Amino acid sequence: MSTTEGMITEIERFALNDGPGIRTTVFFKGCNMNCAWCHNPETISMKRDLHYYASKCISCYKCVYACPCKAQKRINNIHMYYPNLCVKCGKCAEICYAGAMAISGKKMTVAEVMHEVLQDKPYYLTSGGGVTLSGGEVLCQREFAEGIVDACHENGIKVAIESNLNFPWEEIESFIRKLDLVMCDLKIDDSTSHRKWTGADNTTIKASIASLAKSGTPFIVRTPLIPGATDSNENIAAIAAFLKEVDSNGSLLYYELLNFNPLGDTKYQSLKKKNPFAEARPLPKVRVEELKAIAEKAGIIVRAEE
Amino acid sequence: MGQIQFINEFSPEEEFTLDKRIRLLKARKLRQTEEKIEMEGGLDEDDYGRVVPPDDFHFEFIPNNKNGSYYGYEGWRTNYCKLLDEHPLYCDPLDAFVGRGFFFMTRQKGAIWNPDLPYDDLKEAFDEYNIVCGIGSDGHFTPDLRMGFSMGWGGILEKLKKYRKINNGPEHEEFYKSEIMVVEHIISFLHRIAGEIAALAEEEQNPYLRQNLKEMAACNEKMAEGQPETLRECIQWMCWFSFFSRLYNRGPSGGQLDELLRPFYEHDIAEGILDDETAKFYIACLFLNDTRYYQLAGPDDNGNDMATHISYLILEAADWINIACNLTVRVHDNMNEDFFRKSVWYLFKNKNAWPRFSGDNSLVNGFMRLGYDKNLARKRLAAGCHWMSIPGMEYTLNDLVKINTAKVFEVAYTEMMREAAQTPPSTEILWQKFAKHLERAVDTTARGILFHLHNQDKNEPELICNLLSRGPVEEGADVTKSARYFNMCMDGAGIGTVADSFAACEQRIEKEGKITWEALTRQMDLDWHDIDGEYIRQMMLHSERYCGGDTLADHWAVRINELFSNLVRSMVPKIRALDPAYSEIQFIPGWFSWSNTLEFGSHVRATPNGRHNGEAINHGANPTFGFRKDGAVTAMANSIASVQPFYGNCAPVQLELDPKIANTPEGVEKMVAMIRTILETGNTLLNINIIDQHKVLEAHKDPSKYPDLVVRVTGFTAYFAMLSPEFRQLVVDRILAVNGDDPLMPEMRASSGC
Repeated sequence: MSTTEGMITEIERFALNDGPGIRTTVFFKGCNMNCAWCHNPETISMKRDLHYYASKCISCYKCVYACPCKAQKRINNIHMYYPNLCVKCGKCAEICYAGAMAISGKKMTVAEVMHEVLQDKPYYLTSGGGVTLSGGEVLCQREFAEGIVDACHENGIKVAIESNLNFPWEEIESFIRKLDLVMCDLKIDDSTSHRKWTGADNTTIKASIASLAKSGTPFIVRTPLIPGATDSNENIAAIAAFLKEVDSNGSLLYYELLNFNPLGDTKYQSLKKKNPFAEARPLPKVRVEELKAIAEKAGIIVRAEE
Repeated sequence: MGQIQFINEFSPEEEFTLDKRIRLLKARKLRQTEEKIEMEGGLDEDDYGRVVPPDDFHFEFIPNNKNGSYYGYEGWRTNYCKLLDEHPLYCDPLDAFVGRGFFFMTRQKGAIWNPDLPYDDLKEAFDEYNIVCGIGSDGHFTPDLRMGFSMGWGGILEKLKKYRKINNGPEHEEFYKSEIMVVEHIISFLHRIAGEIAALAEEEQNPYLRQNLKEMAACNEKMAEGQPETLRECIQWMCWFSFFSRLYNRGPSGGQLDELLRPFYEHDIAEGILDDETAKFYIACLFLNDTRYYQLAGPDDNGNDMATHISYLILEAADWINIACNLTVRVHDNMNEDFFRKSVWYLFKNKNAWPRFSGDNSLVNGFMRLGYDKNLARKRLAAGCHWMSIPGMEYTLNDLVKINTAKVFEVAYTEMMREAAQTPPSTEILWQKFAKHLERAVDTTARGILFHLHNQDKNEPELICNLLSRGPVEEGADVTKSARYFNMCMDGAGIGTVADSFAACEQRIEKEGKITWEALTRQMDLDWHDIDGEYIRQMMLHSERYCGGDTLADHWAVRINELFSNLVRSMVPKIRALDPAYSEIQFIPGWFSWSNTLEFGSHVRATPNGRHNGEAINHGANPTFGFRKDGAVTAMANSIASVQPFYGNCAPVQLELDPKIANTPEGVEKMVAMIRTILETGNTLLNINIIDQHKVLEAHKDPSKYPDLVVRVTGFTAYFAMLSPEFRQLVVDRILAVNGDDPLMPEMRASSGC
């Protein structure tokens, strides 16, 4: 099996929300966009990140002696962590069994990933599930992703990806055509606003979605409902209209509205990063229903997560 | 307190529907549960449909032993018959049936075992290895209710008298004398009850309820001696059998409920005297009166599914009353898919831990390894917390015999360290010592079972269950001597704790060299309170864990299961050779702790897996808290499948799932697939709690806030509020374990869509 290596944050088995059936989700590390509300901030950088969970600290101070750059300190018998001094070498996390210091990001080979993935094969087959490659942005590590897809297919396991599709179609087409399902995002229809909130223009994304629609690969498009950023009537209506226009051969399974998830804040705190949406809350159910109705007017199938 | 009759509770003008009666009965049931909590405190066990006795009812037992208790045929028949004579009637005019009781004689009688039958030679090993030996335990097999339906109490009495004439030797005298006396008292009890209900009917002013009481009185008068012909009579008979057996010794399990009821239901429908709504009402009332274990569906002799229309009615009735129902749906190759889906749907709809699911392939194929044929193996029904039984054919001590393997590990570890100067410690030395001590524990346990079989009739004959078993009446001997098959269960407890401990030693001492045996032992001796104690404890705790998925501990668990299963099976020729009276005895291994998790843990000092002194051991075959960061159900189920002894008994999977998992049709389909796959990949039994984590945590703080919250504790279901704080904590820990304890837990990890 392939020895190609990739950088991942986590492999989650018994994943029920990342596609059809019972799945295993492999979270890739590293993203080509930088969405202001990202709920998996540890997956943005390609490099390793260090999380600090103060509530797990047992005050053993082993990290103070392990840290080569003095980012861990004992001050007045209190453990302190200074991320600006930290080079994310992970020496503290290696000896922190309590899990207060934890590295996210580990290199794994395709074979290592498959060792984990194959353990749940009977569940994929019975449930119509499989493996979902997520992230981060899967397409940033295309060779690694392709290795996993090929290995899964050799074992009769279906593969889906979650991607922002912010890549020229010609670069990703051959890979996309191998997949059993693509779940992609179109967060904001307006290009300027898209750039403002995600750091990237949406022209390539829309072009890739249009090409994806023509390719015949089944796909789902999703919009996270971020208060003040993506949740306007106009934005949802425009995305729905775009999808109706490009879905010429019915490969779009449905358009999904994902309500804001406030739980990512813990991760921002552990990474000592500022969370611009720390105070935001999910949209009321009635508002989600309103937006769903607006999207449905375009004549496409719409689902809304509770 | 303890009100047991409810006459003229409603005005004469009050009108009723079946649905209204169910709502009122359920509300009363909840009040009675609260009353039980108030009067009796926490009870870590099944609900049993019991009620608090009235204030003016006090029963004085007649002892026949100087210790103040009573034993043997004479002691039991005397007290049981006296109790039947004095037991007041619980009667609710809203109910279709009577049959509620107040207590079990076994709980009231004092010392369970007759002190005149000592077994001191076995006690030392029982204590050393913390063995629950089962000596003197009762009621954990399944009588055949169909025998009762076909004979009625009058027919049972005739049968006893007929066989007394055949078996007229003195060795049978006590048996027949006791059984005949018991059945005669049962018959006169039922005549009295019928008369009392008729009198209550005269008092009742509401015409609708009066009519119900009159019908109830007539039904009971007929059931005093006759055989049931209608569904109502059949269920009334079942309610009383449940009462008689529970009153005696907490009673046995039920059987294949749909097939038990089907002939009566079909009879009534053909006669035009029953509609489905009324049938469901009767079944719902059965659940109020009788919470014992029943199986639904499953393969018949030809492998076809037994689910029929009444199987659906039973699910609908359980949904209607929606209390703690111990229903098991059998998952097999030719399963009725629609019925299976519907049962899963009810599980998630009601979140009351019913039904649970058993896996036919593993159970049947496992049982056949003992030499039984497929038809017989298929007749072995889900009958208890974690066990199976063939109605009327088997005598077992299922779920009553348990070896605390964590204690065995402790003994082995202590011995290894004591000899460390001569033989350097290693996991292999530890394994050899563990195997040696486990063999001694299993051997002593098997001898204890044999001792029980020889002496239980002199201690506590099964006077009620004998009557519906094949053998006792025909041979004039207690079921412990006359059953068709003796399939004696021997459960191990603590496989997770032991596997994690072996793995932690292998990983941290032998592979990584992070700590020495001596340093670890010092920390364990001081319960991790030496210098760096908590740090070292965390290191050991976070070693590769059982149910982590192909981990070191998973490999140890497989090895432990093989050792235990082989040792238990090796007792078969040994005990057969020892005692020709039980020349066909079988010993069947399983993994189950029942609610002994806390008790067992309290006897075991700190273990190498980072466990503190006295902390609970792992539950059944489930892993300990925090076994994987993602708490993956699939990883857990795979590991539990790998430690199935595979001889027809269970190592159950206990799941706690969030209700949001199946709040869409797709979600339910995923659960259908999950349940099927768990049971198709080698597992035997699956208990599922659908629990809102927030609700349980709130209920843990203040149980009175959720009096109707039902949870599956080990194999049994119970009202959460009825559990002791320690048991509530166990349930809470399991929920947290599966939902993950890490800040990066699944529900917090958004997909890339966000």
